[in-house]
Amino acid sequence: MLSISNLQASVEDKQILTGLNLEVKAGEVHAIMGPNGSGKSTLSQVLAGNEAYEVNGGSVSLEGNDLLDMSTEDRAREGVFLAFQYPVEIPGVSNLQFMKTAINNIRQHRGQDEINAAEFMKLAKQKIQQVNLDPSFLKRGVNEGFSGGEKKRNEIMQMLMLEPKLAILDETDSGLDIDALRVVADGVNALRSPDRAVIMVTHYQRLLDYIVPDYVHVLANGKIIKSGGKELALELEERGYGWLGIDEKAKA
Amino acid sequence: MTRLNALLRGSEPAASLPSSLKDFQLTKRKALDTVLLPTRKTENWKYSAKRLGDINGLPADLKTSSGLAEKTDPNTVIIENGQVAHSDIGIAGVTLKTFDMLSEDEAKVVMQGVIARSDDLQFAQLNHAEFSNGVFVSVADHTQAEQALRIIIRHSGQGISYSRVFITLGKLASLTVIEELSFDDLGGASALLNSVTDCTLSAGARMQYIRSDMDQQAQSKVIGATGVVQNRDSFFESHCLGLGTHLDRHDFRIEMAEPGAECNLNGVCVTQQQQHYDNHTSIEHIAPNCQSNESYRCIAGDQSQIVFNGRIHIHRDAQKTLGSMSNKNLLLSNGAEIDSKPELEIYADDVKCAHGTTIGQLDEQEIYYLKTRGIKDEQARQMLTLGFVLELVRANPIAEIAEQWEDKLASLLSFEQ
Repeated sequence: MLSISNLQASVEDKQILTGLNLEVKAGEVHAIMGPNGSGKSTLSQVLAGNEAYEVNGGSVSLEGNDLLDMSTEDRAREGVFLAFQYPVEIPGVSNLQFMKTAINNIRQHRGQDEINAAEFMKLAKQKIQQVNLDPSFLKRGVNEGFSGGEKKRNEIMQMLMLEPKLAILDETDSGLDIDALRVVADGVNALRSPDRAVIMVTHYQRLLDYIVPDYVHVLANGKIIKSGGKELALELEERGYGWLGIDEKAKA
Repeated sequence: MTRLNALLRGSEPAASLPSSLKDFQLTKRKALDTVLLPTRKTENWKYSAKRLGDINGLPADLKTSSGLAEKTDPNTVIIENGQVAHSDIGIAGVTLKTFDMLSEDEAKVVMQGVIARSDDLQFAQLNHAEFSNGVFVSVADHTQAEQALRIIIRHSGQGISYSRVFITLGKLASLTVIEELSFDDLGGASALLNSVTDCTLSAGARMQYIRSDMDQQAQSKVIGATGVVQNRDSFFESHCLGLGTHLDRHDFRIEMAEPGAECNLNGVCVTQQQQHYDNHTSIEHIAPNCQSNESYRCIAGDQSQIVFNGRIHIHRDAQKTLGSMSNKNLLLSNGAEIDSKPELEIYADDVKCAHGTTIGQLDEQEIYYLKTRGIKDEQARQMLTLGFVLELVRANPIAEIAEQWEDKLASLLSFEQ
């Protein structure tokens, strides 16, 4: 589904990704771990199409199409979804209006009619309950005044509504209490299917107790230096990154 | 130099007015001899004087009525070209009179309004001299008015019209007033609607004031003034929506006359094409321990112009004042202009007063977030532009009006179709 080859990217003239390779097939869940500053968030943002990041080498293809050539909105319409580490607050635009506009853009892209109002409300209510948020959050401004945990649940709610092919979770677990973590994990697990893929960027092994990955990769200095199965995450939890030749303290 | 008395049409005060109001008018007429038509050198008209154009050449032949006056809804007053029509006001404890019905005592109260006392508002001065009738609303002590009172101020035909409203709330009384300014289809004729609304809140009274000025005809001009006197522990809240016309001006004056008063002023302005809107707000903190909060958001597109002049004047005795003023603006095109000027004058030493003005474009981070959900760039910008003002529109206490304003703004700010 996703094929990343020798990807290099910089932000504000600082080279972050230095030749990253990754293959993600439909149905798979990949976890990307690594110390602070290794390039995890940069990878997420580059895949989603943040123009603040400059891609200066390599290629990324999504189901055979050149992802880097697509606009941010076209990537979303082709099924890429990024759950933000720091979701943006947009007072004045309600969650409902936001999601309806998003769904209709995606439907239009697929040549489908606009979603009808009743069907949309039913879907929205169902998904907001699925992430344990009160339905009143639908009417509130996007993330406006939400707590950290509520923002992350709102990201998962959006993901469930948009049903992406490729979901990228950028440290969605950070700052969550155990209940919220379960909600997030249940949301992702509900979305797992043979024709979807998930990339989870995370700092901690904890999330992986709830969403069991097929592969775990270690990112350091802008490239993947080690890959393995789910047991790699446990090993990292136990031994830190030092045994891989990364000095975590120097990075932080 | 044109003197403002050149705009006087009537030869003398209307015969039906109480004699103290007639005397008031005669005095104001005399005073107009020295008032000049504002030019760009006139400080309070610096950014808007050029819009006045050939105001002096406005003809006097006003149509008397468009027939709307007969079709008033309950609890609605229509002032059309200065003449008053209303059905029975069925709000318990609320009395409505026209100025020609006022007792001398009531007439004296009218003359004590903030705007009636202001001698630096050129067009209000003209209104003082020229109004032929007006609406007097009083709410009895301890009356909580259940329904809102709607006042529709209309202008039809070419020329100048003058509307006059006076509202007084008794002790611990409360009232919601909806004031709507509008024009008939002018068919290209030039017209000026000159309105003055004065309000006085007795101790512990609460008033919500909702004002909309949504006419967008290229030839219409609106110059309005609203004044509020707040006595002890009274509360005043306003929600104003202004869409531009050729010249659109609102002077808003609040006088915190006694301790413990609080006011919240919310305003939204959206202009397009060659339109103009000028907000001049002025909050006089005379008494100690009062609080004022002001938030105005403006969006100017195309070649339009918006002015915001927000003054907070904290007098020497107004210790422990809490004042905050925020004016946020969005410029949608290179040809649009926004002139924002906060003015703080503080003579007391124990006060908290904050003000902030921003003029900017949309937040790229917000646009990006919307785009990552599949929303196209143009649509994302449109949603954020609308959202910028909807935050304040949704604070409107009357849900139907909030919805109506939202629909209007959504259609105005829609870049598609």
